[in-house]
Amino acid sequence: MIRLEHVTKTYKGDIVALKDASANIEKGEFVFLVGPSGSGKSTFIRLLNREEVPDAGRIFVAGKDIGALSSWKVPFLRRNIGYIFQDYKLLPKKTVAENVAFALEVIGRPRHVVKKQVPAILDLVGLADKVDRYPDQLSGGEQQRVSIARAFVNRPLILLADEPTGNLDPATSVGIMRLLDRINRIGTTVVMATHDRGIVDTMRRRVIELSHGDIVRDESEGVYE
Amino acid sequence: MAANPVYFVRETFANLWRNVALTFAAVLTVAVTLSLAGTANLVRLGADRATAQFEDGVEFIIFMNPDASPDQDESIRNALESSPQIERFEYVDQAATYDEFRELFSEQPELYEVLTPEDLPPSYRVVPSDVDSEAVDDLAGQFENRPGVKKVATASDAIRFIDDVSSRVTVVLLVASLVLVLVSALLILITVFTAIGARRREIEVMKLVGATNWFIRIPFLLEGLFHGLIGGLLAYPALLLVDRYVLQYFQRSEDVLLFQSFAVTNGEILGTQLLLLAVGAVLGVIGSTFAVGRYLDV
Repeated sequence: MIRLEHVTKTYKGDIVALKDASANIEKGEFVFLVGPSGSGKSTFIRLLNREEVPDAGRIFVAGKDIGALSSWKVPFLRRNIGYIFQDYKLLPKKTVAENVAFALEVIGRPRHVVKKQVPAILDLVGLADKVDRYPDQLSGGEQQRVSIARAFVNRPLILLADEPTGNLDPATSVGIMRLLDRINRIGTTVVMATHDRGIVDTMRRRVIELSHGDIVRDESEGVYE
Repeated sequence: MAANPVYFVRETFANLWRNVALTFAAVLTVAVTLSLAGTANLVRLGADRATAQFEDGVEFIIFMNPDASPDQDESIRNALESSPQIERFEYVDQAATYDEFRELFSEQPELYEVLTPEDLPPSYRVVPSDVDSEAVDDLAGQFENRPGVKKVATASDAIRFIDDVSSRVTVVLLVASLVLVLVSALLILITVFTAIGARRREIEVMKLVGATNWFIRIPFLLEGLFHGLIGGLLAYPALLLVDRYVLQYFQRSEDVLLFQSFAVTNGEILGTQLLLLAVGAVLGVIGSTFAVGRYLDV
C-alpha cells in the first residue's frame, strides 16, 4: 500500500529531515512512527500526502509513484488518504455535521450521498447526539472524533495521523485509539506519528523509529522503548 | 466531478457579503471606469455622426432658407457653376435632407415626427478645388450674405472644432479610464485576496480532503466576475445620463448647426453597454485570476 525507496528530504538550510529511508507498509497494517521531535516523523507523513516532494528516492502509494504525479492529480490521491492532526483543524463556524459534510461537498459528492454518509459516520465515532454542536462546545476528545469522522467519511484506503492524542488526557486517548483500531480492523491502513509511550506499548503494533532522519528500528508488535 | 452550482453561488455570495465594504469599493470603481470609457465611445460616435455630412471632400455647406425663392436659389446655383474655384457641388433638396435627418435620428422618431421636409433647409454641399483653409473660408464667405442663404457652414471651422473637442474629450476620458482600469483591477485583486485570506482554514481543509484546485478557485473567480459585471451594469445609467444631459443638450443647440446631429442611437448606446459588460467581465476575471494564482497553489 505504501512503499518508500531510499527517500531523502532536506529542508532549507541543510536540515536533513529524512535520509535514505526505505520502508514497506502493507494494506491493512497499523504502523506507529516514533522518535523525538525533529526526527522526521512529520516529514514522513507529509511526504505520503504529497504535501512535500522527496529530493531523492521514490514513494509509492496504492501502486502509484507519487513523486511523478502531476499536480492536478494530487487532489485525487488525497481522496484516498484521510488525515488527522494534533490540533484537529476543524472549522469553528460550522457545526459537527457541517464540518464532516464539508469534506464530501468540496470533492463534489452529491447531496443525497452527503445526507446519508454524514449521520452514519457520526454514529460510528459516537457523536450522533452532538451533530449540531460547534467545535468550541465540544471537549478535545470529541473534537478529535469529529476530525476522524471528517477524515474517514470518504472511506479512504489510508489514514494518516500526526500526534492525534497529543492534546488529550490518557483516558480520552484510549477512546480515540479504540476508534482508530476499529477503523484499522475494517481494512484501512493507519500510519500514526506519536510520542505516547503508553499507547504504543499497549497496542503492540508495528513500530518504525526515526532518529535524525534515519529509520533506526522497524519491528512488528514493537514497543516505544 | 459532479460540481454543485448551488455550492459555488452560495460561497461566492458569502465571500461578497463578508467583504461588503471592499466589494462596494471594487464595484463602484469598475462602474466609474467603465462609465468614462463608455462616454468616450459615445462622444466619438456622436462626432462621427455630426461630421458625416462633410464626407467625400465636402468643405462647406450653403444652407438655404426653407422659404428661399426660386430666383434666389437659381442665383446661388449659377454662382457655384461659374466659379473656377469650385470643383463640384451637390444640391440636397428638402426631401433628401429629411431622409438624411430621419436616418441620423432613426432611433429618435420624436425628433423628426414633428418635422416635415418643408421645415428643413435645402443645401449645397461644395467641394472646392483649393482645400487650403483660408481659400475655403474666403470662398465660403462669398456666399455668406447672399439673399436666400440661411447660413454657410465651413468644414474647416465646424469639423475642426468638433473633431478637436471630441478628440480632446475622448483622449482625456480614455486616459482617465485606463488609469482607473489599473486601479479597478488592483482593487478586485485586493478584495479577492482578502476573501481568500478570510477562508484560509477552509482552503487548507479543502486541499487536505482532495478538493481540486478549480473547485477551490471557482468561487473566487466568480467573485471577481461579479465585481466586473455589476460595475458594468451600473455604467448603463451613466451612459443614459450622458446621452440625455450632454449629447441631447448639444442637439438642442441653436447656434452651432452641426451640433444638432451630435447624436447617438439607442442601438449604439446598447452596443457600447455590451462592450462595457465584456470589458468588466474580463477585468474582473483578470483581477481575481491574479489573486488566486498568487495564493492558491497545491
